[in-house]
Amino acid sequence: MPRHEPHAPVSGATPRLTRRRALSAGSAATLAAARLLAPAVFTGCSAGLPSGRRPLPLGLLHSQTGTLAISETSVRDAEILAVEEINAAGGVLGRPLEVMCPDPKSRSADLFPKRARQLCERGAVALFGCWTSTSRKAVIPVCAEFKRLLFYPLQYEGNESSEHVVYGGSVPNQQILPAVDWLFSSAGGRRRKIFLLGSDYVFPRTANLIVKKYLRARDIEPVGEAYLPLGHTQFRGVVEMIDASRADCVLSTINGDSNIAFFEALAAGGIDAEKVPVVSTSVGEDELRNLAPEHVRGHYAAWSYFQSVPGAANRSWVEQFRREFGYDRVTSDPMEAAYALVHLWKLAVERAGSVATDAVRQALREGLEVAAPGGPLRVDPKTQHCAKPFRLGRIRADRQFDIVHESAGPIEPDPYPQIAFPGWKCDWMQGGLERGAEVRIDGDV
Amino acid sequence: MDTLPLSTAPQDWYWLHDIPAGRLALLFLAAFVGFYWLGCVFLRPILRQFVKYTAGANDIVGYVLSCFGVFYGLLLGLIAVTAYQNVADAGANVTREAAALSALYEDVSRYPDPYGQNLRWLLRDYTRYVIKYAWPLQQQGIIPEEGTIRADAFQEELLDFQPATPAEEILHAEALRQFNHFLEARRMRLFSIKSGLPASMWYVMILGAVLNLAICWLFDMRFITQLVLGGILAAYLGTMMFLIFDMNQPFRGDVSITAEPFEVLFKRMNEE
Repeated sequence: MPRHEPHAPVSGATPRLTRRRALSAGSAATLAAARLLAPAVFTGCSAGLPSGRRPLPLGLLHSQTGTLAISETSVRDAEILAVEEINAAGGVLGRPLEVMCPDPKSRSADLFPKRARQLCERGAVALFGCWTSTSRKAVIPVCAEFKRLLFYPLQYEGNESSEHVVYGGSVPNQQILPAVDWLFSSAGGRRRKIFLLGSDYVFPRTANLIVKKYLRARDIEPVGEAYLPLGHTQFRGVVEMIDASRADCVLSTINGDSNIAFFEALAAGGIDAEKVPVVSTSVGEDELRNLAPEHVRGHYAAWSYFQSVPGAANRSWVEQFRREFGYDRVTSDPMEAAYALVHLWKLAVERAGSVATDAVRQALREGLEVAAPGGPLRVDPKTQHCAKPFRLGRIRADRQFDIVHESAGPIEPDPYPQIAFPGWKCDWMQGGLERGAEVRIDGDV
Repeated sequence: MDTLPLSTAPQDWYWLHDIPAGRLALLFLAAFVGFYWLGCVFLRPILRQFVKYTAGANDIVGYVLSCFGVFYGLLLGLIAVTAYQNVADAGANVTREAAALSALYEDVSRYPDPYGQNLRWLLRDYTRYVIKYAWPLQQQGIIPEEGTIRADAFQEELLDFQPATPAEEILHAEALRQFNHFLEARRMRLFSIKSGLPASMWYVMILGAVLNLAICWLFDMRFITQLVLGGILAAYLGTMMFLIFDMNQPFRGDVSITAEPFEVLFKRMNEE
């Protein structure tokens, strides 16, 4: 039996409408209406506007402190440039974009997923970023949980296809294998004695597994193979190994600051680019700033984009980036991919007419294409990777690249080269991932 | 700190600062005069009952109003000076921060590359963020927190540098000193975003204004004279309140501190 306050009307009875009650209710309603409408009446500010005009939050997931900061900050800037361009042109679906850039502090395994979760909880409609494969793999479950898409701008090792990720960087069949083909060609000096050198983590190990299978299919064995921990600085022994192996080229998947020590040791060991050229897959314009030109001049790098790509579109982009972020800034492959991915997302949202992830994914699977500074960037609907051209650049003294080779057009992505991952296939248009035989990667990490 | 920086929520009534100064002044004026006139119509007849049969009532009311006016005027004057001082201090902090940033930029420009280049990039990034992203947030009364990440990134790179010569040691020590000045000024700027008069002071001011006007309702004079004379007093009170309100938040409203010192610096950073 419910208790009633003394003199309170019993449940079900209609309270009498007194003048005092009417006045109180009227005053309260007037005040509430004034509080609600006043901002719009007096200022036209957002407090009184429909949600359709409020900004759309985007999450940029890049380390701004720690070892990865110098590379990732540039990628973040390219994404910010794209967002500012979009806002200047009226936003997406009539709504401006708002960027949220927390700092995962180069802690791939723990802080990247934590920051991704916080971004999703704060309403980010899509995530852009990650650098290492470890960070990407750690963020994917968060994207799955919150139903968000991660736009990943880096080249990586392949052997992965998640429906929660749009991969904007190259996979080995678009970067490393064409570089090997070039070394075999007359332009590349018909080199066959390849030394595989890499940092000891998932990307170099997987990439070199693919390269070894590729070489074996041509009856070639690498003359040597070595892996060193990330951040390693003692390369004298490795240089002696390269010298002893009589290698005529080095395929390097060394990442980060170790490149400084490696090229220094190589020069000190009397190995120059004429004798044994190094083809790097992780040395771009940003990394070259830290390398002594006399140590790296004449060596090569394999990417899809270089700042020196000819054409008005690229020149204009580079100028625009420098105007916004500084006269001495450089652009690089991951930056170009990151910039293009933001525009790709915008295109997909407009095609879908919604920011809902399923609708955006569906639009992307129509094979959307955007004009990136380095050429068209098209999504492969089957794999959610992108078709990209291959370019090989020779390092100049001014820390830029001369492009010495370029593929005839964009190369279709193949995250599971059958030569290395037999039976593995991915087609998100028809059933998704098809698993093949388990492939063990040496030093599985 | 292992948390995602969250911008603090804007305060209620922040939208009042978005109204152009002229319109806001008119709004305050209309509110005060309107309140007084409405009181003349509805409250004056009731209040007049208290002094109706008192001899020399107007003299007494006039004396009370004068006494009250002196105290209230003093209060308003002091508060207005405090509000102005608040704006001036916040402006000085902004100038100090930009000056420290400029000196720091000069110092790190003499560092060997790639340190020098990286540090210059990071300072430019910070300055750009302050102009393009932090300032609009400040103008809504929100404390922007991503600037902290950028300052941390700069500090990390700065501390990573190992001077190799005595000259570099001196330069590095000077850069660290400038960095501390910069951090101090930056913190002061952030603190001043939400600085303003406490709510209790506003209540006292508003109550004082209402009492001032209520005393005017006690005068025995022609209705039209009461409307005009009291209206003038109400208009002036409204103007004073507007002045204090507009200066109360240093980064909000038409009378606010701009990002000009940072804009000048950023232009110079990009011209080199």
